[in-house]
Amino acid sequence: MDRRHFLKHASALGAGAALGQLGALAARAQTAGDYKALVCIFMYGGNDGNNTIVPIDTTGYANYAAARPQIALAQATLLPLVDGTGSATLGMHPSLGAANGLQAMWNAKTLAIVTNVGTLVAPMTPTLYNTTNTPRPQSLFSHLDQQLQWQASISSAPSTTGWGGRLADQLASINAGSSIPSMISTVGNNLFVTGSATQALTIPTSGSFGLNGFGSSTGAVARLSALKALLGVDRGTDLLDAAQDVMTGAIQSSGVLNPILQATTSTVSSYFSALSSSIASQLLAVAKVIEARATLGASRQVFLVSLGSFDTHSDELNTQATLFGQMGPAVKAFHDAMAAIGAGSNVTSFTLSDFSRTYLANANGGTDHAWGSNHFVAGAAVKGGQFYGTWPTLQMGGPDDIGNAGRWVPTTAVDQYAATLASWFGVSGSSLAAVLPNLASFSPATVGFL
Amino acid sequence: MMRNSRFLIAGLLLVLAACGGGGDSGGTPTSSTGTTGTGSTGTGGSTGTGTGSTPPPVTLSATDAQRLLEQATFGPTPSEVTRVAALGVAAYVTQQEAIPATGYTGFTYVPHTAPATCKSDPTAPTSAASICARDNYSLYQVQRQFFENALTAPDQLRQRVAFALSQIFVVSGVEIYEAYGMAAYQNMLLNDAFGNYRQLIEDVTLSPVMGRYLTMAQNAKADPSAGFEPNENYARELMQLFSIGLYELNPDGSQMLDANKNPLPTYTESVVQGFAATFTGWTYAPLAGASIDFGGAPINYQAPMVSVASYHDTTAKLLLNGALTPTGQTPEADLKVALDNVFNHPNVGPFIGKQLIQHLVTSNPSPAYVARVAAVFADNGSGVRGDLSAVVKAILSDVEARGDAPSSPDAGHLREPALYITTLLRELGAQSDGVYLRSQSSAMGQPVFSPPTVFNYYPPGYQLPGTTTLAPEFFIQTAATALARNNFVNQLVFNGGATPDPTVTASTGTTVNLNALLGSPVYSPDQLVNELNGLLMHGSLSSAAQAAIVTAVEAAPTSDPLGQVKAATYLLATSPQFQVEH
Repeated sequence: MDRRHFLKHASALGAGAALGQLGALAARAQTAGDYKALVCIFMYGGNDGNNTIVPIDTTGYANYAAARPQIALAQATLLPLVDGTGSATLGMHPSLGAANGLQAMWNAKTLAIVTNVGTLVAPMTPTLYNTTNTPRPQSLFSHLDQQLQWQASISSAPSTTGWGGRLADQLASINAGSSIPSMISTVGNNLFVTGSATQALTIPTSGSFGLNGFGSSTGAVARLSALKALLGVDRGTDLLDAAQDVMTGAIQSSGVLNPILQATTSTVSSYFSALSSSIASQLLAVAKVIEARATLGASRQVFLVSLGSFDTHSDELNTQATLFGQMGPAVKAFHDAMAAIGAGSNVTSFTLSDFSRTYLANANGGTDHAWGSNHFVAGAAVKGGQFYGTWPTLQMGGPDDIGNAGRWVPTTAVDQYAATLASWFGVSGSSLAAVLPNLASFSPATVGFL
Repeated sequence: MMRNSRFLIAGLLLVLAACGGGGDSGGTPTSSTGTTGTGSTGTGGSTGTGTGSTPPPVTLSATDAQRLLEQATFGPTPSEVTRVAALGVAAYVTQQEAIPATGYTGFTYVPHTAPATCKSDPTAPTSAASICARDNYSLYQVQRQFFENALTAPDQLRQRVAFALSQIFVVSGVEIYEAYGMAAYQNMLLNDAFGNYRQLIEDVTLSPVMGRYLTMAQNAKADPSAGFEPNENYARELMQLFSIGLYELNPDGSQMLDANKNPLPTYTESVVQGFAATFTGWTYAPLAGASIDFGGAPINYQAPMVSVASYHDTTAKLLLNGALTPTGQTPEADLKVALDNVFNHPNVGPFIGKQLIQHLVTSNPSPAYVARVAAVFADNGSGVRGDLSAVVKAILSDVEARGDAPSSPDAGHLREPALYITTLLRELGAQSDGVYLRSQSSAMGQPVFSPPTVFNYYPPGYQLPGTTTLAPEFFIQTAATALARNNFVNQLVFNGGATPDPTVTASTGTTVNLNALLGSPVYSPDQLVNELNGLLMHGSLSSAAQAAIVTAVEAAPTSDPLGQVKAATYLLATSPQFQVEH
């Protein structure tokens, strides 16, 4: 096993990466208020984009209802999405929330929707897919593989880093003043927040974050000293090094973050007071960290939160409604809280998910694994109230389907979606290419929602 | 190693001091296995195993026996180390496999939707209604029994293998929250742990718990007029996770590559659709007194699923390697053809064998190790494919598993949370009713039998960032979960563990008595750390690590020898050196 020297948890403390590209940015970071955060919301299991954004015009809805008789949402319940044309031909799943959720954000132009995004190696069509050897993502329709490819923005082969991690690698120099890692996860370890020199810190969303049982007695002080000594001896094997490094980082970061996470008087807390879901708790923890951004000293932070159970092979209507009922209000509360602390246009959240789901239902009131899907980008910096990308023809066996079950070939690559976010975050040129190595395969490089 | 003898002596003293409280296969009165001869009680009586005409056992060093028990059980105990050292691997495995399963008991059918009277209000005094939801509609009692069994059941190897199988053939409390259902599924894995893999996948396929979890229950043939196709869920995951994986494998577990160095997918979407259609026409068994009702059957986890031919797709369906089901077959006949087709795919041995090695022995088996185990999967020596008993024996007997120390520096694995907890408690002779342990395992990232998805708590292919070293368990090792490990040990060692829970029948709490580590005469700091090194680390702790602990022990007041024991125990139990089994 070869082991490269690898800095875990200590990246924010000066792992030098790509210093050359970032002179201007680093200089700008010195000025107060240069802060940006990206918040990735991963919808685990493969969210059905076809019941997330639905045609509401007479013909479009009629075709939709005929194609999905088992799982069609009622037309009257869909939340209209009036766009720049002044009218609405598409609507949103009702549980994403009207006044207290994503429709209100859309109307306030702080929510954009990117349609039919997915993993690609090169531009693809159903004809190319079925009749040529045009390169395609490995292991399409496999949960784990497609999750990893969304997180990596690399679909041609397994990747050891994610695009959030590579962003953090590129921006390490301007985060040199941060007392904690520049990437924070409430989800645990995850490829999205794994860089080649940078790893995320996982924080808890409830309870105390720290080492219990060490007072100031001589014995306790000696014991803590020995505990730390045990993290520094016997170095040189991968497994033991990793176990030691996790604890070293945990002691270091929890000391800084526990008071911030435990704070009950924070401005952001009140925005979540009516919410009890896991995704709300995660976004509250993120909000608290961002609220303390001046104290923590980071200029660029990448966060990862998630909610699961989108793998709706059965009972899709109830399951998706429950999950969206948690997600919509939590996302709105989060961005309201960001506005309240003066960070509204500094923080952008966006969704990822394994894949979309078949337009054709299955025998259990559910749907199976598909490909291109619809995604949300939110925040005051977003050019919201608009759709980006191409809306597919919702016809099984039609021009966007690789077969007969309604698996749409993506018309916007994850790379383009990620590049739009990364550009806003502050990387460009060769740094952007380092974050998204396959971006040159697609044109245009960015999609314009930021 | 000199330390071995030290360990043995210390171990005997510990057992005597504990008066059999940590009793294993010998001492547990409920085992009553009768004729198998495993009940050779008495810590000194390692002879008399009734081997008869079989060759004399190949003994193990005490260190190797302790390592074997780290791999094959939920934690070595001094008495078992002594016994197993004299017994050898093969005889030990044979003995263990003969012990019937210690199962999950006391669970009864409840309807999927709880009645309104069924509450979850576990404040004493409780009533049947006030804890009805906790005990019937959550995994609380199943998880609690898991830890009870892990700590005390005589069928340790079976428990351990079944736990590994539960992380390959995953169902989760996220969906299966009825305690009786999860208990039934885990009992099935316990019973099948040493059977044939072909039987195991049939039992898993027809399990109503799996039927619910991966939605094969009530899966029906396509109905274009109603706008639906067969459900692909179970079909896909059976192949991807339970049998062959995504890519064609060599017998040593490495991927086959084409001329362009690309891996070769084992199946296409068309094959998924073929299996999806094959697995149509199954529903929950009717409740007593009811008749079969395909779409309207209430969820029933008491018996395997039953077939209803009219919902079954009888066309010819595409399977692996171009095979087709014959047309016009029954659901049962199609199922047999399909499972035989999967079972005979050459990937199964390396795919399943490697994961079992990872769960039991090491995250990074050499290709040759995988190949040796896969060869036994292919043929147990008597021409039988899929003999899990032979596979387990091959895994534990392998040269790469045995010895006083592994040859590779990165052999072994991070002890997953449940194993970390139970290993520590068994080695320290602690006792628990499982109440506290179930919540602690969750805090460490492993809610038992309730992983987030069918992909388990961690993927077998997870690599440490920046390396090519596989480290599945590290996927859930984070700042938050790592601190939870330390804080658990802190509570156990310094704060008395957990008191009995008055809302749980016969609750004993979780406690450890460290008096046996005081020594008589009282151990010096060096001696104390040596004892713990033998007990927890099969003597493998480096001198640098020992020195660090000794320094802290010396700083504790000599007027409080138990305080010194606690300091040393805390430090070794929380050390990465102990957490990474090597």
